Amino acid sequence: MDALALRVAVVVLAFALPAWILLSLVIVLGRLRYERSRRKPTAKALGPREADRLIRRVSRNPRTEWRKWRRVAALARLEEAHHPAVPRLIRAVLADPDPRIAAAAVRTLGDIGDDWAIDLLLSALRTGSGPRSRIAAEIERLAPAPGPRLLALARDWNPVVRFWGATLLGPYPELGESSLIALTWDSDPNVRAAAVETLGSRSGAAVEAATLAALDDSEWFVRVHAARAAGRVVGAAAAPTIIRLLGEERWWVRTAAKDALRGIGADAVPSLLSVLTHDDPFARNGAAEVLQDIGFVDFLALDNPSSPLLERIYAAGGEKLREAAEARVVGLEGEGVRAA
Amino acid sequence: MTSNVLGVIVLVCLGYLLLTNIIYVVLVAVAAVENGVRRHETASQDYDVLSESRFTIPVSVIVAAYDEETAIVSTVESLLAFDYPEFEVIVVNDGSNDETMERLRDAFELEPYEVFVRHVFTTEDVRAIHRSARRANLIVVDKDNGGKADALNAGLNVARFRYVCGVDADTVFDREALLKGMRRVVQDPARIVGVTSHLTIAEDPERSMAAPKGRRPIDRRPFMAYQHLDYLRAFFNNRLAWSKLGFMLCSVGAFQIWRRDVLEEVGGYSRRFTCEDIELTFRVHERFLREGRDYEIHCLPDNVGTTEGPDTVRKLVSQRERWQRVIDETVWHYRKMWFNPRYGSVGIVGAPFYLMTEVLAPVVEVLAIVSLPIAIALGVFDPVVFGVMIAAIAFMNGALTASAILLDDLQSRTYRPRDLTRLLLLAPLDLVLYRPIIVWSRIKGSWRFLRGDKAWHKFERNERAPA
Repeated sequence: MDALALRVAVVVLAFALPAWILLSLVIVLGRLRYERSRRKPTAKALGPREADRLIRRVSRNPRTEWRKWRRVAALARLEEAHHPAVPRLIRAVLADPDPRIAAAAVRTLGDIGDDWAIDLLLSALRTGSGPRSRIAAEIERLAPAPGPRLLALARDWNPVVRFWGATLLGPYPELGESSLIALTWDSDPNVRAAAVETLGSRSGAAVEAATLAALDDSEWFVRVHAARAAGRVVGAAAAPTIIRLLGEERWWVRTAAKDALRGIGADAVPSLLSVLTHDDPFARNGAAEVLQDIGFVDFLALDNPSSPLLERIYAAGGEKLREAAEARVVGLEGEGVRAA
Repeated sequence: MTSNVLGVIVLVCLGYLLLTNIIYVVLVAVAAVENGVRRHETASQDYDVLSESRFTIPVSVIVAAYDEETAIVSTVESLLAFDYPEFEVIVVNDGSNDETMERLRDAFELEPYEVFVRHVFTTEDVRAIHRSARRANLIVVDKDNGGKADALNAGLNVARFRYVCGVDADTVFDREALLKGMRRVVQDPARIVGVTSHLTIAEDPERSMAAPKGRRPIDRRPFMAYQHLDYLRAFFNNRLAWSKLGFMLCSVGAFQIWRRDVLEEVGGYSRRFTCEDIELTFRVHERFLREGRDYEIHCLPDNVGTTEGPDTVRKLVSQRERWQRVIDETVWHYRKMWFNPRYGSVGIVGAPFYLMTEVLAPVVEVLAIVSLPIAIALGVFDPVVFGVMIAAIAFMNGALTASAILLDDLQSRTYRPRDLTRLLLLAPLDLVLYRPIIVWSRIKGSWRFLRGDKAWHKFERNERAPA
């Protein structure tokens, strides 16, 4: 047994000791080399031989993940040197079926930002080369902004592309109002939701009508976006309509309605007070919660603690709402707000 | 007869050691490739675009805090400083007996509000929900004590966003931690249901994280340095390879991103286990594989933060025996997955790997500790051979540890070169200076598992330098 154990131990030691020494040297020397290279400025220009080598690397169609990433790194280096072969080469990387590789090409296109790069990004958004949210993020940071070119996306046959078209029109309030309003009636609920959300940053009678209509959409997540959009676009006039959503079956719709009413602020108070005795407990406590969040409860508790209205709010919101309000008011009184 | 039995036991221990080391070498090779790939991927990412884009997915960060008065404020400050477009921080004070709640109240100007939340999970009573007058995206839930899993479930009830990130209250995070974790998710949110990432340890995480990258110190005390090495080995030599091979079985509690609908579907964090993280990861794998669904759970090599390491042997034993217990509980609970082809690489490789290297390790260690001295005393085993064996194991550990240090340094270039040299020199001595503590902890943990002990045995937090 000793002989066997000794043989095994010696073999392991013969492998492990040199491995430990070698790895230690690689780490220490590698790190020192890294520190030295960090102090030197990186040369942007590429020599013809290095450029040829990198072009060959990008032109190949690698199968392993490791080689694919080396291809991405080579492309990034060529782009950094503004090599004229980049527009040709990047198409191949963008077409890679691995979304992470395609996403790296998308990032390079965003860095370039030329007309041809924008065309490629829009085309990638259509075909789904790379994660669409990454492509959209790159499109949004382009300068000059590609605004009018996005309108075609909102008219695409593919609902996914229409969704992104509607979403990307967000920063362009002067563009595509009629298209967006039309998209609030799209057959695809995701497109409707995106259109309503984008309309939420606009104004005008037609936009108001479209967002209010979307509050009755058959899909709950469209109603979520519609509630927030209507709160912003229509303001106080939308409160009586939005308030209905406090009693919705879906929790997320109720949350969106509360967000919208909080955003409207004091102008929503009359509507909120009207549902304090609603049959639906969700509607009652939702209204009480919003009254608390916009400061109305604290105002009453400081100004008129025995007010019947305050009691009605407490009744709707429950004992914890009362306790929380009383604790806050003690703090406010301590700070001398009442005296002020 | 006795010498024959002893001989067999010694051979079994040797065989086990050899086999586990061969497995570790294979895992290191896989991890090296994975690390290289991730390094290229990181270089191709533009964090500025991600951090400003409205298309980056919002996240609810949940911190469960129980008696964390020393660390809680710095942890929450580091979370609120995340460079991320949209997120909320939900701190759940799990009935702390110390001043955790008071410290939070003072530091973040908390005020109580009634918030009507979803009751997806049943938890201990919530006493109050607080909002911060200083930071609109901070919510503090004050509840009765129910354990970490219960606290995280209470946080899930409050969470508004599609992804949740569970973190520990004793960890200080990098500003880009969430971006680093979520960048992988945004590439394929339909398939990626869980992500964890590399964390390091320090005696005082705040002080460690305050140093710039490239000059970050590693604690001078060998005791802390060995824990640091332990973490490096766990993340770089194991989890990275598991992730690549499709059986990432431990999304660590200190930083775990999950898709919220998945957590709701599997029933949230479980209170039936000593600790929640490994069990949840096993449960998600079990559910998705049983139903034949396409999914991925990843471990990333990016350093996302520094957690507090125990600064005494007693505290370390308390922590590690708990880890051993939860591994035993989980692997035993999911025993139907062992060697079961229905569960793919998790059943064929992952669960058996855990069984062999974690659950059975204390048994083999006890056998070795008891049999080797007797075998030497009875002349069954030559002390010279024993000495060569110890040297072989020590340098094998040294080489594996050096691999982890190399992978980490290539990935992040975080630590000072002189600290790396010190770690490399300490690595082979791990076997005699640090491993005995871990062996003792594992034996203790396994014993407590057999006795059905499920208590947390929380250790006292380290003293920290005043801010």
